[in-house]
Amino acid sequence: MTIREKGYTHWDGELKERRLPWWPITWLGIRLAFKKKYFKFIYFGSFIPAFVFLAGIYISERIEDFRYMIKGSTRILEVNPAYFKTYFTSDFLLFMMVMILVVSAAGLISDDLKYNSLQLYFSRPLEKRDYLIGKAAIIFFFLLLLTVVPGFLFIIFKLLFSGGFHFIASYPWLPFSVIVYSLLLTSFFCLYALFLSSLSKNRRYVSILIFAAYLFLDILFGFFYENFRKPAFALLSLKVNLQQLGAYIFKQKPAYPVPWYWSFLILLAICSLAYFVLRSKIKGVEVVK
Amino acid sequence: MKDRLQPRWRYLLDSIRRVFSVFFFLGRKSRRTRFFFVLSFLPVAVALIIKFNQLFSERHSLEGIYLFTNIIMLFYLQLIILILALFYGTSVCSEDVEGKTLSYLLTRPIPKSSIVLGKYAAYTLIIIIMTTLGLLFSFAVLNIDHLLDGSLYLTLFRYWGVLILGIVAYTAFFTFFGSFLRRSIFFGLLFTFGWESVIQYFPGSTQRFAIAHYLKSFLPYSSSGRFSFLTFRLEPTRPGIALLVLFLITAAFLGLTCLLFSLKEYILED
Amino acid sequence: MTAVIETSKLSKWYGNVLGLSDVTLQIEPGITGLLGPNAAGKSTFLKLLTGQIKPSIGQVSIFGRSVKNNYALFSRIGFCPEQDSFYEEMTGWEFLTSLLKLQHFSATEVKPRAERALEIVELIGDKDRLIRAYSRGMRQRLKFAQAIAHDPEIIILDEPLSGMDPLGKRKLIRLIKDYKGQGKTVIVSSHVLPEIEALTKNIILIHQGKIFAKGDIHYIRDLIESHPHMVFIKCADPRRLSSLFLGEDYVLKLYFGPGPQALLVETNNRDKFFSLLLSLLVKNRIEVEEITSPDDNLQAVFDYLVGK
Repeated sequence: MTIREKGYTHWDGELKERRLPWWPITWLGIRLAFKKKYFKFIYFGSFIPAFVFLAGIYISERIEDFRYMIKGSTRILEVNPAYFKTYFTSDFLLFMMVMILVVSAAGLISDDLKYNSLQLYFSRPLEKRDYLIGKAAIIFFFLLLLTVVPGFLFIIFKLLFSGGFHFIASYPWLPFSVIVYSLLLTSFFCLYALFLSSLSKNRRYVSILIFAAYLFLDILFGFFYENFRKPAFALLSLKVNLQQLGAYIFKQKPAYPVPWYWSFLILLAICSLAYFVLRSKIKGVEVVK
Repeated sequence: MKDRLQPRWRYLLDSIRRVFSVFFFLGRKSRRTRFFFVLSFLPVAVALIIKFNQLFSERHSLEGIYLFTNIIMLFYLQLIILILALFYGTSVCSEDVEGKTLSYLLTRPIPKSSIVLGKYAAYTLIIIIMTTLGLLFSFAVLNIDHLLDGSLYLTLFRYWGVLILGIVAYTAFFTFFGSFLRRSIFFGLLFTFGWESVIQYFPGSTQRFAIAHYLKSFLPYSSSGRFSFLTFRLEPTRPGIALLVLFLITAAFLGLTCLLFSLKEYILED
Repeated sequence: MTAVIETSKLSKWYGNVLGLSDVTLQIEPGITGLLGPNAAGKSTFLKLLTGQIKPSIGQVSIFGRSVKNNYALFSRIGFCPEQDSFYEEMTGWEFLTSLLKLQHFSATEVKPRAERALEIVELIGDKDRLIRAYSRGMRQRLKFAQAIAHDPEIIILDEPLSGMDPLGKRKLIRLIKDYKGQGKTVIVSSHVLPEIEALTKNIILIHQGKIFAKGDIHYIRDLIESHPHMVFIKCADPRRLSSLFLGEDYVLKLYFGPGPQALLVETNNRDKFFSLLLSLLVKNRIEVEEITSPDDNLQAVFDYLVGK
């Protein structure tokens, strides 16, 4: 039948759905982040502790060769779960993760709100869930690279340099702890950053919010703890909560005698709040009164 | 127009005043100011908690003025005014460029430097008002049983003066940042919580490359006590010199900003 | 008439990209339309006129004075930018009064001027609503209001009709035309040809940063001698009529249609052709229903000039 003879008919074709409808959002976000020079500087700078810890693993296996360099106790170079916990819960790593969020995550939703791009997204076969997953995957990519990859590299290098499997035999749960803590850390920061990004159309304001909230709560904890000496105030600080959870997951003694599940509940509450706010904020149409 | 017959300096001052009034009004109205107002009142909440604890605790409690000068003031000096100055300072130039409203200002019969100075003055005053209210409430809460003691007010006035100097200097510095850096917030955070936090612990003259050093020079140094790390400095500067340096920093950065803003072309891309 | 705005060899580069090239012209009082497609250089030209950007080469002078660092001139100039950007947390009234304050008007002058401007653009009823809640057309009208509120002598409008509905466009066009009668100088830029045609006959054609032509649309059309003119004639017997001027060397082509009574003539000498046509119609008593020049409009001129 020629096209001239065709009247109104239903389309016979198949609608092929992308298996990962959120992937273009993620890929674009990652590419855009890497286009910024200062982001590359910050991001690759965040790997410095990973290199230092990797070097530490090497040195720990050849401790006699480096005896002349190491004066005093070599206990710090004992590669055990405490070593992993020290890396994953270090102040520097957590601070750098926040800086990565400031630089790469602040504008993820706020720019879309500013330029009214949500209508463009939702006029495609894309659901709210796909949009959020796409945005979240950008943060997951950057932060998991900084956590899971070094964690597994530490295990692999330890096995390689020790020439045996007794390390993994001694701590068979360690890879699982690396994965779980990395996912927890990343999920929390992801929801935290996206939540704050959805609160304003001004990316600069969001950048400050991401940093200030993290820092402020930590300082608040410091002041209250100094004044009252009550460990419960540790629950005020996001950083300390993450560190408390990290200590539990790596089966170490936490810095403050506060049960780990309290820290978990606080972080879960923040994540839940973030989730509900994101669901209400991400809409195709904004009603202005 | 009779304004153009006025001496240039008077016309400039009048322009600054007009820009100030517009942006003071706009700044007060904006939603983010409400958020920052709440932020600057958080130390009041801290003061209330400390005070309630003192009321119900049997332990010997610290003097209200001690808590005010060693906790609350440093909360303001080392966090709140930095955050506020960073945001508002960088907004002076960046806000109109990012919001693409710069055309409205550049096509008014006002010198470009009056836009910078007027907005700077407006935002600095907003920060001063926000922090002063929080400071006064915190002071009142912590010293509620000694409010009739006149000597406390001298201390309050002194610390309030340091706070204002800090706001003025930091806002001027970040105004300059915002006039030429695209990612001024990022570099501002690096400067404030990176450079300034670290450099004060370096011996020699390097610590003088931090605004915080000069502000701390006005505060009594305590070598002992739980909070001594907050007033730490290796080689203090005399208060008179510190005051002069802070004014010079403010004047220099504002002058540079005016120059840069007048010379720079801002392309408002679609 | 003395030129109000003069530019001399005005050029602007954005890095390696040429924004405007060697523009030398004079603009007199009245309405001047600046016509060109997107990215032609219209906004660049207007921003150079208003001193928002600096020329790479050349000069701009308004009222005989250089625009460079001359902020005092802005008390006599009103500018309506292309961007749809406002201080969203202000109401329309607050926005207008704030900008009037920056114009150095006293408190007593600001209120009546703001009211008058809002009445002109029919926004007086919505003056206390937040700009964030304004429709696109209202925002466009507010932009126009801030450009005229201080009663400037020169009004520069960058795409003022963009995003407006047809009724809104008509009203704004009428408003702009009123200013011509008041002796003001209005420069209107647009890429929509009917808008410019409705506003003025005096146009500047710009494309790829260069001025292609300036002047009355008919004058520009006549300048393009090499490009033949088309004349459309609707009459009872087009074939008989066509046979009468077929022998003339300035009649290049003939097309019959659309319809049995239509004839389209291509000629390279419009004046001679019309003169012949009139005499033939009278002499042969041929009744004519319609005579038009389909290409004597801005679109045809523009298309020809930009090489379509």
